[in-house]
Amino acid sequence: MSTNKLITPRYLFLSALIIVLAGGLVLLPKFEKQEGIAPELLLSNAISPERYISTDELADRIISNDPSILLIDVRDEASFNENTLPNSVNIPLDQLLNEDFEGYLDQAEYDVILFSNDSFKADQAWILCNRLDYKNLHVLKGGINEWFNTIINPKKPSENMPQTEYNLYSFRKAASMYFGVMYVDQVKKPDSKKAYVAPKKTTTTPKVVVPKKKKKKMPVEGGC
Amino acid sequence: MKELEKTKRISIAAVITILVVIIALLTYKKPKHLYTVNTQQALEQTALNNFIQKSELNSETILIDIRNKFEFEKGHIENAINIDASDILLEDNKNVFETLKEEGKNVALYGNTPSEAIAPLMVLQQLGFNNVKILAVNNSLNQDKLITTPAEIEKKGENINKFIETSAKKVNELMKAKPKPKPVVKAPVKKVVIPKKKKKKMPVEGGC
Repeated sequence: MSTNKLITPRYLFLSALIIVLAGGLVLLPKFEKQEGIAPELLLSNAISPERYISTDELADRIISNDPSILLIDVRDEASFNENTLPNSVNIPLDQLLNEDFEGYLDQAEYDVILFSNDSFKADQAWILCNRLDYKNLHVLKGGINEWFNTIINPKKPSENMPQTEYNLYSFRKAASMYFGVMYVDQVKKPDSKKAYVAPKKTTTTPKVVVPKKKKKKMPVEGGC
Repeated sequence: MKELEKTKRISIAAVITILVVIIALLTYKKPKHLYTVNTQQALEQTALNNFIQKSELNSETILIDIRNKFEFEKGHIENAINIDASDILLEDNKNVFETLKEEGKNVALYGNTPSEAIAPLMVLQQLGFNNVKILAVNNSLNQDKLITTPAEIEKKGENINKFIETSAKKVNELMKAKPKPKPVVKAPVKKVVIPKKKKKKMPVEGGC
């Protein structure tokens, strides 16, 4: 009996303490809402411009048939049907978190490139996905409008611009031809070339070309 | 005696577990910033009108310049407060947002472009500051003066497909218009090529 009297108050105290501590668990459901990465990290990720990919880089990757890119159009379906980038998938922004599309966004295989008319909606989509810690997401800087202005309809540099601008222009022009744009000077150029070349051939070229070829073939003959 | 030893062990174990729980609770750091919305709700927020035009500004709207201090000092919109975008979660700055929210004032963020302001906007909205919007302006400096122009966001640009079609049409029309000169040019070229070939064959025969 004496032992029983000793035990009971102790147990009562201990069990009471445990119940009080269990009350602390009530606090936890509040943090359950905290879905995704910490706000501080989200902010610093979202401010950093490293998510952007330029239209030139994208054009280069499309033309070189880079298999690792996946283009995602976050505009609504009507705009998507009207015009979009080649081989892109449509995920309207309001359905971004739809389970059907999760496979496109949360994966490690592709470099996903989000785009919209300018980069605004795509940025919003990117930030939401970043909170969920999806990797390999990028945003096309300037979106479709920038794509149109730089790749589809590049502006010809003026005479006082540096050589790099001309190189960039010739790249963009070639890219736009790849995407189906045709230029008037495409027609003119071959014509004018022929017009220039033809008279030269008749007058001077035969004389020059013939001796060169003979020289090349002579050593081969000796070899036999 | 045996029973007493048993109860001693049990109580020691109980005290230790309680200590562990207490230490765990003490070391648990409460996160400084808490999202008040989940991602689905945050997605719904993006569909709202998050922009305010410069003409809609009134005394109930506080302007916040999210550019850095240097740019702010070069020039800023009148009555704007400078909070660098990367510093919005610092305690002092968060307090500013909290007091503004309590006072029922609206907040308009602006940077050099509207898209600069989107990161702070979305983070603040997800932390529960529903009174935050973006001022739809582009800013640029010209001779130490800030030039503010209204910005259009997600404006529909020119249709790429149509542009490609019209460019193809133009070229096709030109091609149709210029079929005649081509054969004329080609004819003399052919004549020139033939003598060349004859000359080529001669040395080869000799070689064999």
